[in-house]
Amino acid sequence: MTTIHVQKTARIHVRPRGPGQPGVARRLLYVFVAVWCMIALFPLLWMASTSLKPVTEPIGGLGAMLPKAPTLANYARVSEVLPLARNTLNSLIVASLGTVITVFLCSLAGFAFAKYNFPGKNALFYLLLATMMIPVEAGIVPTFIIMRRLGWINTYQALIVPRAATAIGIFYLRQYIVSYPSELIEQGRIDGCSEFRIYWQLVMPVVAPALAAWGSLAFIARWNDFMLPLLLMRSKDMYTLMVAISVLPVSEGLSTPWPIIMAGTCVAVFPLILIYLVLQRFQVAGLALGAVKG
Amino acid sequence: MRFAYIFISPFYLLFLVFGVFPLLWSFYLTFQDWNGLSPMSFIGLANYGALLRDSTFYDALRNTALYWLVDATLIISLALMLATVLQTRWLRGRGAYRVIGFLPYVTATVAVGLVFGMVFDQNSGVLNSLLKTFGVRPLPWLNSTQLSKIPVMVLDVWRATPWYMLIVYSGLQGINPELYEAATVDGASALQRFFSVTIPSIAPILFFCFITQTIDSFRLFAEPYILTGGGPGSSSLSIVQYLYRTGFTIFKLGYAATIGYALTFILFAISAAQVIALRGQGGVSEAGAE
Repeated sequence: MTTIHVQKTARIHVRPRGPGQPGVARRLLYVFVAVWCMIALFPLLWMASTSLKPVTEPIGGLGAMLPKAPTLANYARVSEVLPLARNTLNSLIVASLGTVITVFLCSLAGFAFAKYNFPGKNALFYLLLATMMIPVEAGIVPTFIIMRRLGWINTYQALIVPRAATAIGIFYLRQYIVSYPSELIEQGRIDGCSEFRIYWQLVMPVVAPALAAWGSLAFIARWNDFMLPLLLMRSKDMYTLMVAISVLPVSEGLSTPWPIIMAGTCVAVFPLILIYLVLQRFQVAGLALGAVKG
Repeated sequence: MRFAYIFISPFYLLFLVFGVFPLLWSFYLTFQDWNGLSPMSFIGLANYGALLRDSTFYDALRNTALYWLVDATLIISLALMLATVLQTRWLRGRGAYRVIGFLPYVTATVAVGLVFGMVFDQNSGVLNSLLKTFGVRPLPWLNSTQLSKIPVMVLDVWRATPWYMLIVYSGLQGINPELYEAATVDGASALQRFFSVTIPSIAPILFFCFITQTIDSFRLFAEPYILTGGGPGSSSLSIVQYLYRTGFTIFKLGYAATIGYALTFILFAISAAQVIALRGQGGVSEAGAE
């Protein structure tokens, strides 16, 4: 079906044009795409290349693109300045535990909004959407004080609990779960499943791609989060990677050499890129969802 | 039925504790002078009065508004352009471009902010040495009150565009192909198809992007914090950065809460204006519900 359709439209596409014109357009488009990829990749490559340079090598200029004598010494140096292994562990714990919890709670609430009718449902859903308009930053002063009173400064739960269920996550997963056939849920009830079992054993396996898509976005956001960790993680051992590398430029006096800073940023960036490359195929599921939304 | 309430309760409980409660307490704090340690003292509306006369606040507000307008324009038009390119039928290697194109969003702002700091450096930066080959003298990107906003904007656009590209791209997937076929049969050129089919079809999504990008712009923090520290002077300071500095560097907590409220109020006013403007046009009223 689809192939036939694509072939047909492709023919219509090409015919009305003059000869040669599509060729030029094509070439221009590929040039555009190439430039775009260059722009997307350049800072990452520059970061990686600089991190391998001995501190004595020039870091500026296009001539100094690649290190002349690549070395891993900067990585050793940066882990002397900061407990980077510990910081990586902190980031991993906060991001993975936070993601698992948020995917669970958001899908549970999304399921309830998608498949139940209950008094106040619409009002509660609009309230949920409205909360997206409130910048968390506006309440940051009391948030800090609450965390201090709870004794949660320098703890993982300070970063995990406040965003354990997010409005956008519930909205996203509700959109996806809505299309799950209600008859199957009814059937489950007749078979004697509890409501939670219906959610857990019937719905969850089917919407797994959406959970993975949302989970990978949630993981990225938590791994890269900066303001709250900066505020709430006050000891070097509890810094997440982002906070750790943010203090790098001033941690050896006022002039930490760039290659050492870049070794730190590489440690902060490349694990996440690897995880993303593994998980990116789930984005397709997310794309299908957008179609529903549009 | 009660299961539904139990299933949705975690969000609302957390929102009460970490959303409503801080906002109410924040409101109370706006009437106090407090450094976090000594007892609070009630000072009435003095914080609000001070805010209205605070030139640094106005600087931060102006900078943030500029970040918003420039970044939103660039990000959404670039996202639309890239998504359209990505959707071109005969494009080969689409999957690879999508993955590479999304990498900036995966990269942490803090990390790439440090890289951009190196790229924009006046003496050893790549940008200036590139400009030099074209005969332009080195520019003090990060150290001039006139230029310091540019690196912040570039960083934000670089990192946020892929996110919106993904949203727009998923919107494009949802357009009925028959609309394009009909337009093609009617003799519409690619450009005409873009304006008469693509844009109207994804208008609600573009509107959604614009609203989220507005909120994100007013929450800008890490970009100027890492690149310029808000300087020189307050030439690149964002509102949230000023809020953070007031609260947690000089510990004027009551005043910081007041800045937070001003931010909430401004965002609310802008969002309301956007929704009203859109309703007034009549066209895509369902987008307001998003």
